[in-house]
Amino acid sequence: MQGQIPFGVADYFWEEALQRQELITSLLATFRAWGYGDVMPPAFEYAASLTAQASASLQAEMYRFLDRDGSTLALRPEFTTPIARLAGTRLHDWPMPQRFCYGGSVFRYVDPQAGRQREFWQAGVELIGAPSPDADAEVLALTAEAMKVAGLTDYRIVLGQIRYFGGLLAALELTPDQADSLRWAIERKSEPALADFLRDTPLRTGQRQAVEALPGLSGGDIQRVIDQAERHCLNTEMHRALVNLRGVVDALAGYGVLESVVLDLTEIRSLGYYTGISFEALAPESGFSIGSGGRYDDLVGHFGPAQPAVGVALGVERLLLARQRQSGQIASLQPTPPHALVISHQNPAALAQVQRWRAAGYRLQMEVNGRGLADVLASAERTGIAQVLIWEDEGFSAFRRQSDGSFESTSGEIFFDE
Amino acid sequence: MSSTPVFAAPSESSVESRPPILFALPKGRTAEESLALLEKAGLTGPLDTNSRKLVLPNADNSIGFVMAKPWDVPTYVEYGAADVGICGLDVLRESGRRVHEPLRLPFGHCRLSVAGPKDRPDTPLRYASQPRIATKYPRLAQEFFRKRGVNAEVIGLSGSVELGPVLGLADLIVDIVETGSTLRANGLVEIRTILDVQAVLIINRAAYQLKSKQIQGIIERIRAVI
Repeated sequence: MQGQIPFGVADYFWEEALQRQELITSLLATFRAWGYGDVMPPAFEYAASLTAQASASLQAEMYRFLDRDGSTLALRPEFTTPIARLAGTRLHDWPMPQRFCYGGSVFRYVDPQAGRQREFWQAGVELIGAPSPDADAEVLALTAEAMKVAGLTDYRIVLGQIRYFGGLLAALELTPDQADSLRWAIERKSEPALADFLRDTPLRTGQRQAVEALPGLSGGDIQRVIDQAERHCLNTEMHRALVNLRGVVDALAGYGVLESVVLDLTEIRSLGYYTGISFEALAPESGFSIGSGGRYDDLVGHFGPAQPAVGVALGVERLLLARQRQSGQIASLQPTPPHALVISHQNPAALAQVQRWRAAGYRLQMEVNGRGLADVLASAERTGIAQVLIWEDEGFSAFRRQSDGSFESTSGEIFFDE
Repeated sequence: MSSTPVFAAPSESSVESRPPILFALPKGRTAEESLALLEKAGLTGPLDTNSRKLVLPNADNSIGFVMAKPWDVPTYVEYGAADVGICGLDVLRESGRRVHEPLRLPFGHCRLSVAGPKDRPDTPLRYASQPRIATKYPRLAQEFFRKRGVNAEVIGLSGSVELGPVLGLADLIVDIVETGSTLRANGLVEIRTILDVQAVLIINRAAYQLKSKQIQGIIERIRAVI
């Protein structure tokens, strides 16, 4: 075991670690620009808090362990529940709405797949205390903005409204088994399974037509989809879902991100958790969703006074993977070299000059092993450093790497490649 | 940083000429039926499946076909390495892969069944406390017995499963049955059907949304000929 690491975790170093940190940094900066405040919940807490509303599959994926007093703890499998706990128990008297953003790792006991190990990174936001379609639209627009900040040129957001299907289920008055088979057919977009359901389930004409219309309720032509869905409303719940969607779509048009949104009323993965809109961010060349979110009005109430809430979580690894595939560039498997390696002979004037360059934003590495120029040049060549500076009496002399890889002494003022 | 070496994408030209839709087809028994169906649907002309090329494009280069091991098709499609695929319902359910499956196709009919020695006493399967099951379908076999409250000892094999009871390796088998002649030849009888199997069209969840126009076109043309 010595020197090995457990299945499902990874060491990230050099360029890969840098890209990860930089992406999280720029996502958080974007979230802050939209008025979201940082939050850092603990990496583990009471399992009972984290399972407040988790699906059976997420509960099965949680890492649990015993505290020394016998209470059951779990590593956070996502950020939304800890943030809902924080807002519900400790910040319920602070003026609503409240906005939070985060970036960090989460832990799930899953088979490692594309861009997802058992420890993986998420960045996202939660907007708590706002029930309006404007709040939904803000989180959607911010998701689109985050895609651009992450460097994706091509992406799509698939938007659903779980209350339309939830309202339909209620209107159909199905047995639990019948509801399951309808849900399964819709989730897998299976025409034969839907045909089986229609054959085996007695329905009135209006009910049957509403079910038959479901598969057609998706596409980029959002207005058409909503109009068509309107014709099959069987109760106020379904109607309210569409009123909300119209509000969201109007607000999104204002943000100018509507062209990357696809409406899909058959997107019902998270029935039972989300209570309004739900969405997934997708990118071509990446078969898995790179982020997902939605409205969860029932979660904060587990921990304090009920509050409506909406949020999104983006997969940092999947964003990096999608960007790589779109740009065709993959991280170089090398440390990012500094702008120069410096032999200062510990001369105070030399060190002062180095500090001025560093303050100006240049990365300078100091020779600390007392090696001579020849050894330092060889080391620079091996590690991809483009310039070596050596202090001589009054000032620095520079050796720059040439196109053939060798170093040559240069004269004139010292400068650094960007 | 100009000085940071960057590896180029794997051979730029092959990426550019790749057809917009990749379609994974299972090698072997169902390959011909799959191709016949796709020809009938007007999605492709005859393909030289013996070609050494990995991606076989159709005439207008709108769809590229990849011949894959049947068990790999759901994996290719879930990961988005292929957008569309054809595989057996048995393989799809055993894989547990999350994909869309809009259509069942009119070939590859068979069933996944529990079978046992023909002289086995006629008692319900749930009476056995820990039956040993030889199978190529460990996940579906385990699930079938667990639903009946039985903790089966599932022995995963990669072929010739019917030898299990003959050699005393297992009490029962879970395997694909078409005519039942293989079972009979080995002194086995079918006891229960777990799953009615046929070929199924599967679609990557992201491609279903991102390439919806092409994907819906493929679904419609196939639907019209089944």
